[in-house]
Amino acid sequence: MTKYIKYVDVTKCDGCRACMVACKNWNDLPADPQDFQGSVQSHPKVSADTWNVMQYIEHENGKGDLEYLFRHSACFHCTDAACEKVCPENAISYSKYGTVVIDQDKCVGCGYCVQNCPFEVISLKEYVDKNGDKYRKSQKCTMCTDRLEEGLQPACVTTCHTGSLEFGEESAMIKKAEQRVKEMKDRFPNAQVYNPQGVGGTHTIYVLAEKPSVYGLPENPKVPTSAVIWKDYAQPIGKMMIGATTMAVVGAFVTNNIISKRKALKEDRGEDHE
Amino acid sequence: MMKSVVSKEYQELQKRIVQLQEQWKQSINPETIRPSLDKAAMAAGMPAVSQTAIDFDISLFLQWIAELNQTLIANNPDLEPKLAAVVDVLTEETVIRWIEEAYSFNQIYFEKFADEHGVDQWIPPFLAETALRPYLQLTAEKVQPAITHGVPGAGCPVCGEPVRLAALEEEGKKVVHCPRCLAHWHARRLECSHCGNTDHEKIHFLTIEGDPVSQIQVCEECNGYIKIIDTRQYIEKPSAALMDLNSIHLDFVAQEHGYSSMDEKKQNS
Repeated sequence: MTKYIKYVDVTKCDGCRACMVACKNWNDLPADPQDFQGSVQSHPKVSADTWNVMQYIEHENGKGDLEYLFRHSACFHCTDAACEKVCPENAISYSKYGTVVIDQDKCVGCGYCVQNCPFEVISLKEYVDKNGDKYRKSQKCTMCTDRLEEGLQPACVTTCHTGSLEFGEESAMIKKAEQRVKEMKDRFPNAQVYNPQGVGGTHTIYVLAEKPSVYGLPENPKVPTSAVIWKDYAQPIGKMMIGATTMAVVGAFVTNNIISKRKALKEDRGEDHE
Repeated sequence: MMKSVVSKEYQELQKRIVQLQEQWKQSINPETIRPSLDKAAMAAGMPAVSQTAIDFDISLFLQWIAELNQTLIANNPDLEPKLAAVVDVLTEETVIRWIEEAYSFNQIYFEKFADEHGVDQWIPPFLAETALRPYLQLTAEKVQPAITHGVPGAGCPVCGEPVRLAALEEEGKKVVHCPRCLAHWHARRLECSHCGNTDHEKIHFLTIEGDPVSQIQVCEECNGYIKIIDTRQYIEKPSAALMDLNSIHLDFVAQEHGYSSMDEKKQNS
């Protein structure tokens, strides 16, 4: 199957926030009122009800000029996703499009994914059931997997009017990103493609005008070692050990039964007269 | 794959037929199609194919019908005797007549032909139309640069097929597509392709709940409709023929609401 990814060219973005509106609209997300942030940015970062947020960054470049930078921020859909690794309930999985999705029925709201996401794009939402009990579920951008299934592009991409967002075949998008970085090296010497390999590459790649840290992004995000140890070693070994213990118990039970039966048989035959 | 009211098997069959037509089109010598478009005739809405000299290769045409029959039989073996009965009566003269009648959508001729030869009514027009399309499509390709707009009520400027399908493309441009010859041309967003009405108060849009890409544009002036598909939202752009097939539910909805794919006023007058 062709691998599709989302391409975000932050230098073409004019900060209109239509992607945020399209996301709320398609995913039926409620309003998420915020206090004034001190800038035009509406929310400090993505939340359980706001799956993509337009970042507005006032940055002083090396020449002492002020740059006003925008970035459409949402889930990166990592190829090796830390959230998927740490989820104890296997509620987070990869769809056939490579997008990382949460099964709300399986999620128990433990919050491990929230703590381990290198991009901080997962949030817990609190719900109240009919008995008044509170429970929590993880929420984040799904890359509109329900739209992909219909052959449609994600809602944010469809609505973007500057061509900052695109959705297409991976190699074509990467080529486009590299070409774009070349074009603007004079204007933005720190321009680069952001497709971090520490998480196996992502399903959202960025053309950034500045270093990732300027946008609050990790320079080299990784799946936490503890998560790898936990999921790839501890859990399978643990399961194996549970299996081994069960087998030992069952084995002991069977052998004990046989032994006691033999003993009983001997007694019946009157071989034991003491 | 996008959801459709059409069954997967039928979609697959149609895809194979579209592929066949593409192959057939490649095998036509482009020089056998010689358009000589007259500006006044085009402005009056006369289809380009009627101003084009086409040297049909009858043996090629017969070969295509044989290939099409094979595809249909592979899909449904029960059709074999029915299709064989048609092939038996297909002479060169009949084929020439078929081409002429398929050109002008002469449904009456085909119905009569089917009755005379005791074959199912759908078979003769289906075979004739399917095998004619590669010629229409190649003609459309040749004249496409000259096709900038349609004449309201005249149908497709290349083949005359009634207008029923448009796509919203980049920057929201409305492009009318002909699913028959695959010609396409720009149209105004608020204009009825059947009667030319531009009064926005008389143009309405019907939408299907849960379907984010389709709308039906209806005109209260002439009671006509066209289907509009927002292809900007698709990851891979569907071809006009398959888009028309997969949106067939919209035709049902529009017709159930009393709209027609032509200008009713003109037809009745």
